[in-house]
Amino acid sequence: MAEASYTVASDSETIGEDKSSAFPEIAIGIDIGTSQCSVAVWNGSEVELLKNTRNQKIMRSYVTFKDDTPSGGVSSQLSQEHDLLSGATIFNMKRLIGRVDTDPVVHSSKNLPFLVQTLDIGVRPFIAALVNNMWRSTTPEEVLAIFLVELRVMAEAQLKRPIRNVVLTVPVSFSRFQLTRIERACAMAGLHVLRLMPEPTAVALLYGQQQQQSSHDNMGSGSEKIALIFNMGAGYCDVAVTATAGGVSQIKALAGSTIGGEDLLQNMMHYLLPESQTLFKTHGIKEIKSMALLRVATEDAIHRLSSQISVQIDLDLGDGLKINKVINRDEFEEVNRKVFVKCESLIIQCLQDAKVEVEDVNDVIVVGGCSYIPKVKNLVASMFNGKELYNGVNPLEAAVRGAAVEGAVASGINDPFGNLDLLTIQATPLAIGIRADGNNFVPVIPRNTTMPARRDLVFTTCHDNQTEALIIVYEGEEKKAEENHLLGYFKVVGIPEAPKGVPEINVCMDIDAANVLRVLVGVVMPGSRQPTIPIMEVRMPTVDDGHGWCVEALNRKCGNTQDLVTVQKKV
Amino acid sequence: MFSSSNSIFLVHSFFPASQLKASRPKKAYFPGKISASYTATENRVFTSTNMASSSPASLYDVLGISMGASGNEIKAAYRKLARTCHPDVVSMNQKETSANEFMKIHSAYSTLSDPSKRAQYDRQLHGHSRRSPLTSSNIASMSGYRPRYSHSGMNWETDQCW
Repeated sequence: MAEASYTVASDSETIGEDKSSAFPEIAIGIDIGTSQCSVAVWNGSEVELLKNTRNQKIMRSYVTFKDDTPSGGVSSQLSQEHDLLSGATIFNMKRLIGRVDTDPVVHSSKNLPFLVQTLDIGVRPFIAALVNNMWRSTTPEEVLAIFLVELRVMAEAQLKRPIRNVVLTVPVSFSRFQLTRIERACAMAGLHVLRLMPEPTAVALLYGQQQQQSSHDNMGSGSEKIALIFNMGAGYCDVAVTATAGGVSQIKALAGSTIGGEDLLQNMMHYLLPESQTLFKTHGIKEIKSMALLRVATEDAIHRLSSQISVQIDLDLGDGLKINKVINRDEFEEVNRKVFVKCESLIIQCLQDAKVEVEDVNDVIVVGGCSYIPKVKNLVASMFNGKELYNGVNPLEAAVRGAAVEGAVASGINDPFGNLDLLTIQATPLAIGIRADGNNFVPVIPRNTTMPARRDLVFTTCHDNQTEALIIVYEGEEKKAEENHLLGYFKVVGIPEAPKGVPEINVCMDIDAANVLRVLVGVVMPGSRQPTIPIMEVRMPTVDDGHGWCVEALNRKCGNTQDLVTVQKKV
Repeated sequence: MFSSSNSIFLVHSFFPASQLKASRPKKAYFPGKISASYTATENRVFTSTNMASSSPASLYDVLGISMGASGNEIKAAYRKLARTCHPDVVSMNQKETSANEFMKIHSAYSTLSDPSKRAQYDRQLHGHSRRSPLTSSNIASMSGYRPRYSHSGMNWETDQCW
């Protein structure tokens, strides 16, 4: 068993799981949302949401920096509003994690009531909280780690055991680089990530469990059911189509985008105070307070518009700046028209990718904080011809409950009633490929490929006697390479001299059972059956925080001398 | 982990036999010009390395169903196999082999669950071997003549399967 006492885990490998314990530890499920977070665990017979000392199941995702002791929304008893107004509270970090300062999402976060500074050079943005008239810098990872620690402590106190393994839900549109940042935050909090689940797939698992249970009850045949899951929170909007039968949920397609309640809020703030961007640019104490006041009032108005047709906003932002306005629901929907159009297009895309017709969908599940907005519910329902939405899940708890079920399944827990006899067959949310044919993104593993997956594609040189080739790996959906997420790059050298188009450069991408991506490149000359140079194997992502302009630097250095093209079909 | 294998590609589990057998149908669920361009070379180069043919040959064998299986039977067989072979349900030390196994199963499923791909596959299976599907599909992939058939559409013969 313990023979390998002198081995060192490779830098690029995660440390294997400890298998020694006789009683498997049940991994807890955590949903760290942009604005709210929650923890749930399988208690032996069902999923239970854990509560904090204030008896809350859903907690705000924020951290307040005070003197030297930051405290998060899980434990903090202080009035959040006061800290928010003073600039000491950091939130919305899930929108910023793993993004460089050229990212539009980072730029749109600059009117948050704390400091988000960009230099626009492709490095991580500077984020700071105002504490005792000093800007205290922090990072999204640190902020997430602080409330992950609080969540862990809370869970440990209630479950009376140390917590190490967790299943986390993540947005569909997160790149693999962003996932490494989430893992980093967990590591900082002393947590080991057993699995990162795209949010709607956690809901799909919960749905699969419910279907399994009801087919047990009815002694039914367990025929296949297709569900569309629409999950819109504060930061992200995700869609999934799942086919479930007999406890097996197959994710047929995923679609996601960085749109959410935060965009609705920003659009409304801009609508209420069009000059807010320039007004608050200086980030002084007064401006922070005005920004926070506007934000709190607008958020409150949006919440009230879910149950009221119109709301009155009376706001004194100081310095004679006052807002007195009645906003009605139609106005709100018109101001945010683009966001809702985007929601529709995500659903259409997901159905198309899944090759599922509207009539084939048995259940439409709408979850996430934005599911309380009438327009969101209506737009989804109207796309399914007014079909009644599935009411078997709590919109705010569905994702974390699914994560808890996955935590139990992945920990190898058995349930005597078969309630954990479940399996989710995941699909890749984004395509993974390389730059080729000029500046194009050529996917090797297309999006919505069932995982684990291994695909390969043959490329060739584009110059005569080209001996080196640059492999630049991206993840995303855009045609132009640089509009996708960069995962890493490396160079293949020692290609035998030959006319262009002759050497065959095989690029293989492998996503293994643990969702680890490896890129393998082999060079073969025609007539040979063996690779002419050793195959290169690179675990991705290899990029770090300041990767924004790496490719530009590479372009400057190499031009197109090391480019590749796809092999054209010989007719 | 891969010590039993002597091919460099298999050492890296680069292009395992399972992938090759299923590589032709793969084309169809990989829309776009790229797929069309790479199938031609892929088989030619890498089939030669090793056809670790411990696996059953026909996609029907992979799923353990008869050639006349209905769409629902195919789905049921796939789910049943997924429950035993998916990496998420096997023990830690079997993850790697089960990943390969599952990819093979999924590949078979995605071909047979698509009527047009299945018809095409059936034709290939029938047309090129009366003897045994095992040899035929191996030869088919090794000799690299599969791409020639990749553009033939459905006809009345294959439609009969449905």
